[in-house]
Amino acid sequence: MLSATLVLTWREVVKWVRRRPVLVMSLVTPIFWIALFGKSYNLLNLVQLQVQGVPQVVLEQVRSLLSQAVEKIFGTTDYFTYVATGMLAVFALFQSMFGAVGVVFERRIGYLTRLLVAPIPRSSIFFSKVLGSMFRISVLSLVLFTIGLLMGMQLKPSIGPADLLGTWGAIMLLSLGLSSLFTGMAFNITNQEVLFAIANLVNLPLMFSSSALFPLDQMPSWLQTVARVNPISHTADLVRYLLIGKPLPEPLASVAYLMALSLVLLGIGYLAAQRGMREA
Amino acid sequence: MEEVVKAGGLVKEFNGFRAVDGVSFSIRRGELFSLLGPNGAGKTTTIKMLSTLLTPTSGDAYVEGYSVTREPGKVRRVIGLVPQDLTADDEMTGWDNVYIQARLYGLSRGEAQARAREVLELMGLWDAARRRVGTYSGGMRRRLEIAMSLVHEPSVLFLDEPTLGLDVQSRRGLWRVVEELKRRGVTILLTTHYMEEAEALSDRVAIMHRGRIVEVGSPEELKARVRGETIYVEPLDPGELERVKNILEENGLEAHVIEGRVALRVERADTVLPQVASALQGVRVKSMSIAKPSLEEVFIQLTGETLSGEEHVDPFSFRRMIRSVRR
Repeated sequence: MLSATLVLTWREVVKWVRRRPVLVMSLVTPIFWIALFGKSYNLLNLVQLQVQGVPQVVLEQVRSLLSQAVEKIFGTTDYFTYVATGMLAVFALFQSMFGAVGVVFERRIGYLTRLLVAPIPRSSIFFSKVLGSMFRISVLSLVLFTIGLLMGMQLKPSIGPADLLGTWGAIMLLSLGLSSLFTGMAFNITNQEVLFAIANLVNLPLMFSSSALFPLDQMPSWLQTVARVNPISHTADLVRYLLIGKPLPEPLASVAYLMALSLVLLGIGYLAAQRGMREA
Repeated sequence: MEEVVKAGGLVKEFNGFRAVDGVSFSIRRGELFSLLGPNGAGKTTTIKMLSTLLTPTSGDAYVEGYSVTREPGKVRRVIGLVPQDLTADDEMTGWDNVYIQARLYGLSRGEAQARAREVLELMGLWDAARRRVGTYSGGMRRRLEIAMSLVHEPSVLFLDEPTLGLDVQSRRGLWRVVEELKRRGVTILLTTHYMEEAEALSDRVAIMHRGRIVEVGSPEELKARVRGETIYVEPLDPGELERVKNILEENGLEAHVIEGRVALRVERADTVLPQVASALQGVRVKSMSIAKPSLEEVFIQLTGETLSGEEHVDPFSFRRMIRSVRR
């Protein structure tokens, strides 16, 4: 099984690299995202306001108070840094979804038929898709991270290789769960439009009901409840804890939660894929 | 002679509709066996059952002695399937597609390279191997599909409508490829709705209609069953079909209405034609034509329908749609 999985995963990688326009697009998109979200909502600009008729001393004090408040809420005085780190988690979500589109597509063009008549385990087809997505997400996360740095993302001073590795691990856990779920789902869908409809239904709500763009404390309590079980929140919080040092009371609890959830989603996705591949 | 494929009472139902309704046949080693029938006759469903993609509702089939229902894994090792669709990846090169396929069948890196070269050369694609598949012509893409299905040297090759959507020239080119494979001893099961194709390539033909095999035999045997020739008369006004039929029957001829034309079965058309022409004075006739014995005529005689049956959807427009999706 392993060799078939590796061959098919390698095919995913070759396809992705050869498909230049798609590759370029998937690299450009994150730049737009962090640039638009991060730089346009930059909260520090609020603090720089000049108000006429107010003594300079008072302004200074207000600024310093606001700065402290912002730092307390976001863990950084720079909203861009906050969003750029959150985007690492959101991007894993989006790429997991996009990866699943390939499954529907390959069923339509008949490549899946070819795989199903080959003497390889059905599971290798599923696992190669999940691994392919995880590979793409790894590369894109690295790109996103680099661009974030170039655009002024502020890392914590004590950052080390372990923090970077941990960040990658957290993103991979999230990707494993989400890719498994979406890929499994895609094996039961024969129409791309259905998948896009599901993507629209799922992606934005998952993004906004997490701590990726705004901290939990700023949300109404019902939304906080949703955000607490949302794996995007846990990933984003872990990434921020590791990269920018935003305090997180129980990082290990988040890791455990992500692990457990990913395993459950992997199980669900695997069974769904097996079901979808029974007949072609 | 040894039987490589043996199907016994294959039935496949989809939500109560019997797409394949009790199909039995066997294919001898080295033979080229065709399933000939219009779209919707159950040819593809039959091939899918033989290649373990669909589980038969009842019945079973054996390939190299392995049951498709009980030993699908073993069957998959010995068969090659060329599906109707163009499955090769546009962005990758022909080489990539074939090499990956070879690796998938468990060939080592070196074996896969040697085998990929071998099948690409056999299919006349070696010069184009390093080009993106997106730049290939229709005929080249079809040959690439066959190359991809040959990497593991299957003992039986299933070709599902291999020339669908090809122009006449590419179609002939593909026939030569199929003949070459046959010369090399590959047992081939081919489905087609082009009677020329079945006639040109097959050792034996099974004529399929509405999920059943209605006749099996070599093209010569089948054609021998149609005695004489057929004259087709098409009246200008389709409302006059029955009238034309009645007039001709009054003249002692055997007439049937088949899809907008009146068919007359006769010994020799050239001597009967003047009689038909004079009998039909007063009827406005659009065309008269003579058909020599062919598999098409056999099919019409057996089923009362033509192979391209008017009620069927145009497969080409569907294929074009799929192709536009791929872009």
